[in-house]
Amino acid sequence: MKASKLTLVLFAFLISLSSCEKYLEVDPAYSLGADNYFNTEQDYELALIGAYDLLQGSYITQWVGEIASDNSIAGGESVTDTEGLHQIDEMTHDGVNNELRSVMRFNYAGVSRCNYIMENKDKTDFDGKEIILGETRFLRAYYYFELVRYFGGVPLVIDRSIGSEEVTTIDRASRGEVYAQIESDLQYAVNNLPWNQPIKGRVDKGAALSMLGKVYLFQNKFSQAATVLDRVINEGGYSLLPNYEDLWYAANEDNAETVFDVEYSNLEGGSYDCLICLEGNAAAGFNGIRQYEGPVYADGNSYNLPTAKLYNSFDVNDPRRDLSVLNLDSFINLQPDPGSISYATGGGGHTGYYNNKYIKRQSELGLPDDDLTSPLNYKVIRYADVLLMAAEAHNRNNNDPQALTYVNLVRDRVGMPPLSSSGTTLTQEIWRERNLELSGEGHRFFDLVRTGEAANEIDGFQSGKHELFPIPQVEIDLSGGAWSQNPGY
Amino acid sequence: MKQLYSKALRSLIGAALCLFSFVASAQNVTVKGQVTEAANGLSIPGVNISVKGTQVGTTTDLDGNYSIEVPKGQFLVFSFVGFENQEFKVNESRTLNVKMKEEASVLNEIVVVGYGSSTKKEITGAAAKVDGAELKKLNVSRVDAALQGQVSGVTINTNSGSPGGSSSIRIRGLSTFGDNDPLILVDGIVYDSEGLNALNPADIESVNVLKDGTAGIYGVRAANGVIIIETKKGKLNSKPTIEFSGFYGVQSTARQLNLLNATEYAVVKNNAFLNGGQQQPFANTALGEGTDWQSAVFQNAPIESYNISINGGNAKTRYSIGGSYYNQDGIVGGNKANFRRYNARFNVSFDMDERFTLNSVLLYTNEGRSALAENGIGSVLYNTINAYPTEPIRQDNGRYSYLELVNDIINPLAQMENTYNRSNVNKFVGKEELVFTINEDFTLTNRFNYNVALVDGKTFSPLTWYGPGKAQNTAANEDLDAPQVEIADSVFLERGASVYENRDTYVDLTYEGFLNYSHTFSQVHKVKSTLGVSVFNRSGNGLNATAFNIPNNSVDFADISANQADGGFLNNAGSFEFEERLLSSFLRAEYSYRNRYMFSAIVRRDGSSKFGANNRWGIFPAFSGAWVFSDEVFWEGLNLDWVDFGKLRASYGISGNDQIPNFAYLPLLNGEGVYVIDDIITSGVAIGRGANPDLKWETTHQFNIGLDFNFLKDFNFTFNYFIKNTNDLLFQPDVSAVLGTYGAGGFPPYVNAGDVSNRGMEFEIGYHSNPQNNWVFNANANITTITNEVVRVPDGVDFIPGAGFGVGGVVATRFEVGQPIGYYIGYETDGIYQTQAEIDNAPVSQAGAQVGDLRFVDQNGDGVINFSDDSDKVKIGSPIPDFTIGFNFNVRYKNFDVSGNIYAALGQEIIRNYERQQPYANQLSYVLNRWTGAGSTDVYPRVTTGATRNNVFSDYYVEDGSFLRLRNIQIGYTLPEKWLKNARVESLRIYLSANNLYTLTNYRGYDPDIGNFGGVLAAGVDYGFYPQAQTIMGGFNLKF
Repeated sequence: MKASKLTLVLFAFLISLSSCEKYLEVDPAYSLGADNYFNTEQDYELALIGAYDLLQGSYITQWVGEIASDNSIAGGESVTDTEGLHQIDEMTHDGVNNELRSVMRFNYAGVSRCNYIMENKDKTDFDGKEIILGETRFLRAYYYFELVRYFGGVPLVIDRSIGSEEVTTIDRASRGEVYAQIESDLQYAVNNLPWNQPIKGRVDKGAALSMLGKVYLFQNKFSQAATVLDRVINEGGYSLLPNYEDLWYAANEDNAETVFDVEYSNLEGGSYDCLICLEGNAAAGFNGIRQYEGPVYADGNSYNLPTAKLYNSFDVNDPRRDLSVLNLDSFINLQPDPGSISYATGGGGHTGYYNNKYIKRQSELGLPDDDLTSPLNYKVIRYADVLLMAAEAHNRNNNDPQALTYVNLVRDRVGMPPLSSSGTTLTQEIWRERNLELSGEGHRFFDLVRTGEAANEIDGFQSGKHELFPIPQVEIDLSGGAWSQNPGY
Repeated sequence: MKQLYSKALRSLIGAALCLFSFVASAQNVTVKGQVTEAANGLSIPGVNISVKGTQVGTTTDLDGNYSIEVPKGQFLVFSFVGFENQEFKVNESRTLNVKMKEEASVLNEIVVVGYGSSTKKEITGAAAKVDGAELKKLNVSRVDAALQGQVSGVTINTNSGSPGGSSSIRIRGLSTFGDNDPLILVDGIVYDSEGLNALNPADIESVNVLKDGTAGIYGVRAANGVIIIETKKGKLNSKPTIEFSGFYGVQSTARQLNLLNATEYAVVKNNAFLNGGQQQPFANTALGEGTDWQSAVFQNAPIESYNISINGGNAKTRYSIGGSYYNQDGIVGGNKANFRRYNARFNVSFDMDERFTLNSVLLYTNEGRSALAENGIGSVLYNTINAYPTEPIRQDNGRYSYLELVNDIINPLAQMENTYNRSNVNKFVGKEELVFTINEDFTLTNRFNYNVALVDGKTFSPLTWYGPGKAQNTAANEDLDAPQVEIADSVFLERGASVYENRDTYVDLTYEGFLNYSHTFSQVHKVKSTLGVSVFNRSGNGLNATAFNIPNNSVDFADISANQADGGFLNNAGSFEFEERLLSSFLRAEYSYRNRYMFSAIVRRDGSSKFGANNRWGIFPAFSGAWVFSDEVFWEGLNLDWVDFGKLRASYGISGNDQIPNFAYLPLLNGEGVYVIDDIITSGVAIGRGANPDLKWETTHQFNIGLDFNFLKDFNFTFNYFIKNTNDLLFQPDVSAVLGTYGAGGFPPYVNAGDVSNRGMEFEIGYHSNPQNNWVFNANANITTITNEVVRVPDGVDFIPGAGFGVGGVVATRFEVGQPIGYYIGYETDGIYQTQAEIDNAPVSQAGAQVGDLRFVDQNGDGVINFSDDSDKVKIGSPIPDFTIGFNFNVRYKNFDVSGNIYAALGQEIIRNYERQQPYANQLSYVLNRWTGAGSTDVYPRVTTGATRNNVFSDYYVEDGSFLRLRNIQIGYTLPEKWLKNARVESLRIYLSANNLYTLTNYRGYDPDIGNFGGVLAAGVDYGFYPQAQTIMGGFNLKF
């Protein structure tokens, strides 16, 4: 009897086990599965916002484009504070560099979010999908362009996602292959985006054409560059703001000169732990004046400090000098009560100059931590840049009159006398004009490399090496060690 | 089938015995009677009664009665586990009632092993037991803090010395990258380490630690070891005992750092600015002592606790009920760093009839905790250390001073005053257990456990102004005006004081059913077996919200209901919900022959909802055996009379760890895809953590060999050697950027990759004198040494980076093959450059070096110190001690008792990371020894405000963290009984006690006993750790 009872109990155990496999099937509560998405137009819209998100990594380009060049030094609290920038400043950067690794990570994250949409582009049909796909491909082109100008040829992953096994089978594509992909994506964007997007912050045909022109210029395809940039100038309806100073305030954003901005907001707080999670522009606070107490400006971290060389390169009558570079002591001396104004210098270096375009001002504070949450958009391309790129393209394409027209529009805005030279002299002058107009905006280093002038202007720059940044060593290792490092590193 | 065999076997044996006895003697006498416990008169079933020198015997029935025929003139031997054997010569038929006395030997101490129990003598695995009384003595709020130094192989580090702060518990080393906490079971109910706040150490009867592979009975969660805590239970047939105990104490900091006073500060800073090529800030350096920020921040704080408990039972019921109050303020922050606990406990066992027993456990706890910012840049102590002494605490007008010369460092007193952060937890933990005694061999246990926690939190953030430019400001200006926020073009809203509240509910439900079998065949073959199932469900949900514009900027109105945010525009809310499940079955079979050879096998099958359908189930086996060689005949021949007991043990087992977030196997759109569209922060979707559908549990293979040795009656010795290899570590190593997982809210996938090995030795030696003596002396010491090594990291990953050093600084700790987990890597220094000639002629060029700078070692021999890669970095320390040592003793002479507890950890290093490298930040006084000219020092570099490599992470910032600490010393006096008789008091003991009275260490920081506040790889990084208090207490134990 007892034995039979026990046997029953044992059976009950065994049955309860085998029948309960379903018990372990728990579904995630209120979360969307990535594999079961893109069922409505709204799904595509939301995924596109996710793809835009990574544009906000542009603060690094604002730093690196200046710090790597002759325009500014790294600065900061000490030489070990964001050490990667100090190494880039001194041209001693190598395979271990957190900032360069972030560039790679953020831009590939952007690429993969675009690919997530492209992979599923045929799943659901709706009107206007080509605009969403146009924006998607624009963004992917932008991310690959960042990658190719930092690192040269990089692995191309297009319209699909890959896992950590597969990544070891993919080698670096050539620079040409990456550019071909970028051009193809931008061409699609040009063909499918409208001239005007009704919503601020979404890219349009003008942005795509300008971006394409820039990409051509980086490949010295001057005639193609001239063609597409002319279209922007002739058809885009852009114009220069009359007052150069107005460009640099958040309040004036989305103006006639805006071609392509990365949008930021000061309405979400943030922490140093994750700068890519910020909705604010980290560059402004980082570039701000350390422990500043006084009018106009607010406190910051004294990064990315312009050099005297940059400041002195301006004509003393050029209003862009002091609007681009803040000469702090002379600014303080002009204030009503200079003695009451104080600031500190960091152990990472001090030049007396501050970036006056991307800087923390009292009128543009953000939620805590204010140093991280500036609403200042990063101007990737503004109309003045389009004009200067077009001028350069025409000059290099032997159309100096057109080049002079464009460059003099830019000079005229700030009351500088027109240029009248031609040929290579004009080329040099356009290049110079680019830095006068665009200094502090993250273009300088890439322009110097593009034009072959870097070795002349940057201390420690080695030709044949420093044109490209090193691929982070850890990324080479994670790819299975197959990628070759860039020359010289 | 087994049952059939046993019946058959028994009847066979019985028949044989009958035959034998019949043949052997015609002169038998019949002896019958009852066997009871001497202590309480309870009958004892199952007592073995045998005729000495023969196989003839019987056992007592359920009521303790027996009857046996014995050849006249023979001896009857009464034996029962845990009791002393008794012998009687029988010459005639008679009634013989026997009272069994409990055996004093520690060998018969019950050890709880999971779904059953064993004795120290019988156990085959590496397990340890700590008596609850030992833990209570320390008067700490948490059992984990009390366990430090009590058990070999168990390393406990304090994560925070603040009231209610947790510890990290490591059984046999760090074995995984993520969660290293052991499985903690209180009366069979799962607690997480955080949840231990609910448990009053005074309620604990015993703590059992399963250290080796035999913990595998708990399967997929056992890889980090298992801690089984039993709370106090009553006893049958005992009159109620009322115990009232309490203590009150005063805590203070055991140490203040040697910081510069105002004069020293001015001198050092002048020197630094001069070296940096800047104007010297202090024209007059005779500034006296200045402000002592530490004295202002540290305070004496009270700690108190009172417990009442009633234990007892009648013939059918046992009960233990109690209540307690505990309250502790912090030595930093006072009541802003408070922990307060009320709890009530109701444990009752009820014999419903002869076969059914109901065990019921119920614990209710209400705990409140206030906490300050701790152990990080921006913590109160970090600010205290870096605040400069030339600034007064308050200005003449009474406001807190702003410390304007330093960036991000705020006035720590203002910070404490403006911190309002309180959480409150209501917790119900209980068990209803029905034990069905099927027959003398089988018991079936069904139990249902619940653990319900209701967590309420509230954080009030008033508008504050810490000074111009301080990142922590929430006000727009000194007048505490609210900042204006532009929510759309030219639409401004005021953003006033805010309150954040959360209400979270966590519910654990467990059903467990298991059948225990125990039988001894022929008195020599003992078979035990356990077969069971366990069903576990954990769920939780929570709501949280932030509301702005709290009226009057006052904590009195700090509730969401009081918010006055315009249109509620800025307010926001969030929620979460989760569920996870486990389904398990397990079998344990044990066999022992003459209690001399023991063998045990365990197998557990676990299914976990953490994994995808393809890898949901795991099987975890374990085997162990022991040999009591001291019972062997040959051993007696060796004449080693001084050896009382000797046992050799070995075990091997596999267990698992599933401690990863839910749904790591699924790709979910829970990343952060947020962009500013039309000036509005707009949420889209993005894939969060990369998915890994092939994820499975990590497995730990443990081998243990041990020796237990009792000698000279009063000594016992235990030795264990173990190898613990953890494979397929669950973690999130870096993956290639190309995978695209590093966007906002994105993380690399969890993978099974990497192996870690721990091997080590444990020694325990104890001495227990006879408790009947006037002089009683007990002591035990334990030593643990563990070698931890990372054996494998994922392909393509050289190392996993850990904690950073300094601000925006480099990675200082790593998880790397061939090194202990979280070892420190940086530059090795080799003195100071004394002269320019030395720099110029040095065989190694060090960029930027100036006289007075640290000289680094060129590890790769390329003639250059490379600052932009890792080629000259080398291991410069490890947070893992070479040895941990515990020593406990207590002495009693008549009515006086003294006890002490010493803990030492030797051979580990700590990273000094609480110095902010800012021109005006205060510094430790060692900078007074700075380099000031050739030959002045070869240790401390010059100070400068200019660019310098002296603050790259080097061994200059790594200190020896070894320490020895007198954790507790206590002197007690038990009042003589004659004084108490009239007061109807059974006993009264009063005592004086001190915690952390003395620490021997070379470490400069507050407290060398530093855990890992920010994960495994942050171990040993000191940001200005909240130190454990030094406490002087007086208390009493009163028994009625």
